[in-house]
Amino acid sequence: MRSLPSGSSAAAAPLRAAIHDRAAAAARATAGEAERRAAEMIADAERQASAIADRAVEAGRTAAQADAAQRSARERRRAHELQLAARESLRRDLEARVLALAVELRTGQEYPRLMDALRGEVGTLLGPEATIEEHPDGGVVASLGARRVDLSLPSLARATLESMSGEVAELWTT
Amino acid sequence: MSELRDREPHASALPGARVSHRDIRAIRGPLLTVGGVEGVGWDESVEVETPDGLRHGLVLDVDSDQATVQVFEGTEGLTSGAIDVRFDGRPLHIEVGTGWLGRVCNGRGAPLDGGPPITGDRLAPVAGWPLNPVEREPPHEPVLTGVSVIDALTTLVRGQKLPIFSVAGLPHLALATQIAAQATSAGSSFMVVFAAMGLPHADIAYVRDRLEARTASGELVLLLNAADDPAIERILTPRLALTVAEHLAFEQGADVLVIMSDMTSYAEAVREVSAARREIPARRGYPGYLYSDLAGLYERCGRVRGRDGSVTVVPVLTMPAGDITHPVPDLTGYITEGQVVLSPEIASRGVYPPVDTLSSLSRLMRLGAGKDHTRDDHLDVSAQVLAALAHARQSAALAELVGASALGETDRAYLTYRDTVEQRLLHQGQGETRTLDDTLDRAWAALGVLPRQELTMVSPEMIARRLPGEDAGVRDG
Repeated sequence: MRSLPSGSSAAAAPLRAAIHDRAAAAARATAGEAERRAAEMIADAERQASAIADRAVEAGRTAAQADAAQRSARERRRAHELQLAARESLRRDLEARVLALAVELRTGQEYPRLMDALRGEVGTLLGPEATIEEHPDGGVVASLGARRVDLSLPSLARATLESMSGEVAELWTT
Repeated sequence: MSELRDREPHASALPGARVSHRDIRAIRGPLLTVGGVEGVGWDESVEVETPDGLRHGLVLDVDSDQATVQVFEGTEGLTSGAIDVRFDGRPLHIEVGTGWLGRVCNGRGAPLDGGPPITGDRLAPVAGWPLNPVEREPPHEPVLTGVSVIDALTTLVRGQKLPIFSVAGLPHLALATQIAAQATSAGSSFMVVFAAMGLPHADIAYVRDRLEARTASGELVLLLNAADDPAIERILTPRLALTVAEHLAFEQGADVLVIMSDMTSYAEAVREVSAARREIPARRGYPGYLYSDLAGLYERCGRVRGRDGSVTVVPVLTMPAGDITHPVPDLTGYITEGQVVLSPEIASRGVYPPVDTLSSLSRLMRLGAGKDHTRDDHLDVSAQVLAALAHARQSAALAELVGASALGETDRAYLTYRDTVEQRLLHQGQGETRTLDDTLDRAWAALGVLPRQELTMVSPEMIARRLPGEDAGVRDG
């Protein structure tokens, strides 16, 4: 292989310099492009991360709101049920007192007249052939064949209380 | 009680003085056959005294001196000889009044919330009566549900009956509950009666949770008949709901919305009871009187001349196998004033509520929407949205044939419009309440993706005033 003529190296210097400059420029452009694309990718990633974070925050907020609403609803329900249970307890107390007072009628002076009136009611409902017995808690029970009438004092007291539900409700409405 | 005493030869004025019967001739399933009865009528209310406590029932059938009674709580553990059956002498009555508000009861009105029995101003028969047509006032003024697709396109009007037609698996219960939770009207007070019929317990828990706020604020009555509750109780539930609603509306002056879900379960209970009564079955085993039975419920809604309140009814129906010709939706469609139809296809696109807008219709919308009722542009923008959706459906069909890329610019705009309407107007969160202004603005925004020349049902003045302006120049092109 023959070497280049003397002086050619010096003659090629501008070419080398030009190639070097172009290569350096291309490298700089590539590096710039890489940097620009990296910046774009980073910005895009940041946007995506921000959007994901926003969605997560929104989903979390929605879930938390739904959860809080549900907890709050259940607490309100519990409070409301406590109030209703207190009303029911009042009603049951009243019923127990009315039943106790009704049973006490047995010892009153009016009891014989009351019994006569109840026997009269049995006659109206079942007829004169009905078999009538006194109830242990006062009042009467009667039967005729498969038909029966319960006019015991507790039953009558319970039915009377039921027919006066409006007045009973005044325990908690007034 | 007076009619009873007039009818019975041996009646007493003493409360509780009633003859009880012990001649139990048969116990079959939930049915008791009682002998030796006289003067007992169909649907008469019954008390069954057992060693374990009181049970309740209703007379299903009377044959000479025998009455067949369906016991609500069932006949488990009952033996003849240890049962006393007492007939009330009349169909079921309930006390009506504001005491129902904030309460949760079963399908026959017994409290489930641990409270005392409900008391009221007076007794009313649950069977009720349809409104006298002469006394009716035409429905007017909207009930705003906060659900865009209903408020914008099938506006519910006070006094209207507007059913939701659905199929199993779609979120009709979520929609009905959302309406119950959010609905309002411009009247002095607005109340909701929710009658759940034949719902599974998980659904009942959902309804209770979702409506708790309204229950706590004393605006809601919740009647819950579970899937495992007796069929006869399911027949009473909507009647009870309407009886409570009628009192609140026509005596207390409230606007009352009655949600009844699911009427198909109700109709199946009617079929079951009809079979127990040995009646001749008609279409698909339902009794021949199903039409008049449903009409007897739906026609109890409306407005009454000279009174403030209104009863608006939204029944929910699940169409077996999606068959709109099934007797229940078919007969309901004859009686009601439009329908909101839910579609599995729209649900599959992730849209909630999946309302098929082109199959849905509120026949009374014009009485309650537009100028002086909602917003002056409401009816026009609603018509434009629907017309454009109809065009979009044709464009979608064409795209399936030739491919979306082969469509013209206008057809592609309609496909974009359909997606925009579904995502921005129709799709909504289950807990999201939208104002009517927000809803109509969303409708305008969706119309904004169409070329201006396609907006032929709204006036140029309205377009100038309502259409979002920033894209106007592009649309003109």
